[in-house]
Amino acid sequence: MPAGSFYGLLGPNGAGKTTTLSMAVGLLRPDAGGAWVLGHDVWADPVSAKRRLGALPDGVRLFDRLSGPELLAYTGLLRGMDPATVDQRATELLDVLALGDAGRTLVVDYSAGMKKKIALACALLHAPRLLVLDEPFEAVDPVSAALIRDILGRYVAGGGTVIFSSHVMEVVERLCSHVAILDQGVIKTVGTLAEVRGGRALEEVFVEVVGGRTATGDELSWL
Amino acid sequence: MAVSERAALSTPVPAYRPVPAWRFARLKLRILRNSLRGRTSRVMLFLAGALFGVYLAGMGFLLAAVSSAGDPPVRLMVASFGGAALVLGSVLLPLVWFGVDDTLDPARFALLPVGRWRLVAGLFSAALVSVPAAALLVATSGLLVPAVAHGGAGAGAVQALGVVAGLLLCVAAGRAVTSAFATMLRSRRVRDLAGILLACLAALLAPLQLAVVSAVERADWDQLATVARVVGWTPLGAPYTAGIEMAQGRPVAALAKLLIAAGTVLLLLWWWSRSLEPAMVGAASAGPTRAVRGNRAGPVAQLFPRVLPGLPVTGFGAMVAREVRYWWRDAKRRANLITIAVIGVLVPMLVTAGGSRAVLDLEGTGAPALPPFATTLTVLFVGAFAASVLANQFGFDGTAYAGHVTIGVPGRPELRARAVAHALLMVPLLVLVGVVVAVVRGEPAAAPAGWGVLLAGYGTGLAVNQVVSVLGAYPLPESSNPFATASGSGIAKSLLALLAIVTAYVVATPVLVAAALLGDAWPWLAVPVGVAYGGAAAALGGRLAGNLLDRRAPELLAAVTPRR
Repeated sequence: MPAGSFYGLLGPNGAGKTTTLSMAVGLLRPDAGGAWVLGHDVWADPVSAKRRLGALPDGVRLFDRLSGPELLAYTGLLRGMDPATVDQRATELLDVLALGDAGRTLVVDYSAGMKKKIALACALLHAPRLLVLDEPFEAVDPVSAALIRDILGRYVAGGGTVIFSSHVMEVVERLCSHVAILDQGVIKTVGTLAEVRGGRALEEVFVEVVGGRTATGDELSWL
Repeated sequence: MAVSERAALSTPVPAYRPVPAWRFARLKLRILRNSLRGRTSRVMLFLAGALFGVYLAGMGFLLAAVSSAGDPPVRLMVASFGGAALVLGSVLLPLVWFGVDDTLDPARFALLPVGRWRLVAGLFSAALVSVPAAALLVATSGLLVPAVAHGGAGAGAVQALGVVAGLLLCVAAGRAVTSAFATMLRSRRVRDLAGILLACLAALLAPLQLAVVSAVERADWDQLATVARVVGWTPLGAPYTAGIEMAQGRPVAALAKLLIAAGTVLLLLWWWSRSLEPAMVGAASAGPTRAVRGNRAGPVAQLFPRVLPGLPVTGFGAMVAREVRYWWRDAKRRANLITIAVIGVLVPMLVTAGGSRAVLDLEGTGAPALPPFATTLTVLFVGAFAASVLANQFGFDGTAYAGHVTIGVPGRPELRARAVAHALLMVPLLVLVGVVVAVVRGEPAAAPAGWGVLLAGYGTGLAVNQVVSVLGAYPLPESSNPFATASGSGIAKSLLALLAIVTAYVVATPVLVAAALLGDAWPWLAVPVGVAYGGAAAALGGRLAGNLLDRRAPELLAAVTPRR
């Protein structure tokens, strides 16, 4: 994927989006092939690759017996950042993401949307050049989603690169410069948003590429 | 009322057929099969556990059967004391060792229309389908041999009922106690009280133990038989001694004992059903946490506990701080920690109290019944055991470990931080154990010698368990019961812990040899030698495990990720 792009990875459930992104950030060892972050091999030279990378994995827990501020401080110090910088950035992130009110509530007691937001804050804390986000908009309320879209938009405008997976077409259509459609572990269509759409609605293209079925109205009549 | 609303309310609910209890047992077998399928290492572990079960069952059967050749008091003692040991074991062992097979987590049935008693019956029948239960059944059925030999078919039939009742009693007791204990540990009030309770318990047990020991030592054969007779009338021994009563021509007593067993089972099931409901409702959270306002300290200052002021404000320090917080905040870890504290204080006290004859010394008799070496071995066990919770330290974190993998935390500092955090909590406890053991032995001056062995054992335990934690990690279910283990991994857990303790013993042998050779000089040298040897072992184990971890981090993450 080109640097500076806002890349959307689309695919139906079970297509392999999470698997792909896990292999890209070093969570899952690929059987074959490799992954490079801005020229650094994730598997051969993980330290320099992971330093440039911020990741929001889906379906994994955080260290959720810490409170939000504690978790951010922990992540920052583990990244080897200076404590004063950690304090300043963490406070700012908590403020912007409206997590400051949670006080010392443990992350395990956060709502699903708040967990997403604190995980995103952890990924942003060290100002990475590449963000890999798995389902960043899932379970997030519309206000927070708008906020996250705004943050990501400014991040890309400032020279960052984002790849995220989703199955919400409107978000992808509104944000992305590039799109790839993944089905059964194979990339079916890839290109800039305009190329993939070809003048049609993205949802139409997606259903056609993936080969979905629509309800005829006869099934489930007992409901 | 609107028409559509009335229609919605009057729509008939589909007919509901109650679920038979054996369905739960079938479900458990199915889940077990699926979790083993295609995982050779799991299958091997399961088979190893099953073989171990067969061995224990055979030994128990033989012991019970051979007692047939003994006198009536011998037969009574075997049935009564053996049965009591089994019941107590099935209460205590799940707490301290195996954990509870939580394949059927009650929380998963919360949304289904299953009544409370039906659920208990189902979960109970599922709990009966397990390797330990089968082993228990085989072992205790050895009691049929003396019953039939001395009382004919009638006594045999009564004893068969007794054996079945005993099995139900053991399983119900284990389930009820772990479930109640889990509920207790979830509430913060009890959590804070646990430390005080422990201290009181330990303080009470020492004099009690001394009294029992001196009683046993003065007791003769007849008195022991009397104790056996009394135990035979408690729920601990009642089911196993029913056949003996029948064989001696007391059918009413036999019936009474069977009723005692049955009543106890019902009572235990009722108790279990009471603690099931909180387990079903409070699934994920460890109870509400206070949201303290007005704390204006920065995020970094919040992370570091104020009781540990010396920690460096670096990644390493942050990991130590997080680990220390986790040992207390995570219910699973807390349960393990408290168990270790109980065992660590109780076991050496029981052994030394049994051996030291502190009471008899006051009366001016006898030399120690147990050589001091036995105490040393026990103390070493406590040290190694204290480190054995770390055997699955990554399993406690589960998928949260992905956070470390994406950051790329190097292996050695990671393991060192975890070991340091654990040592910060454990070393004070070990020092305390050393003092308690020395005082119980009546030789307070011997405390430093005990410290040396404890620290050496702890250090070698750390060394071995760090390696085990990287190579032998297994997932823990994300359930509300801190004692839960996934199906089949109870065996893995106990085998790994056993392996780690035995290895730690072997590695610590030089210290034992030094203790034996140095004689009078040992108490002076014990602490420096123990610290140096234990520290060196822990550092070496940490290096080895750290290098392993650097190569295996993604595989480790996959190993601790629960299958959904």
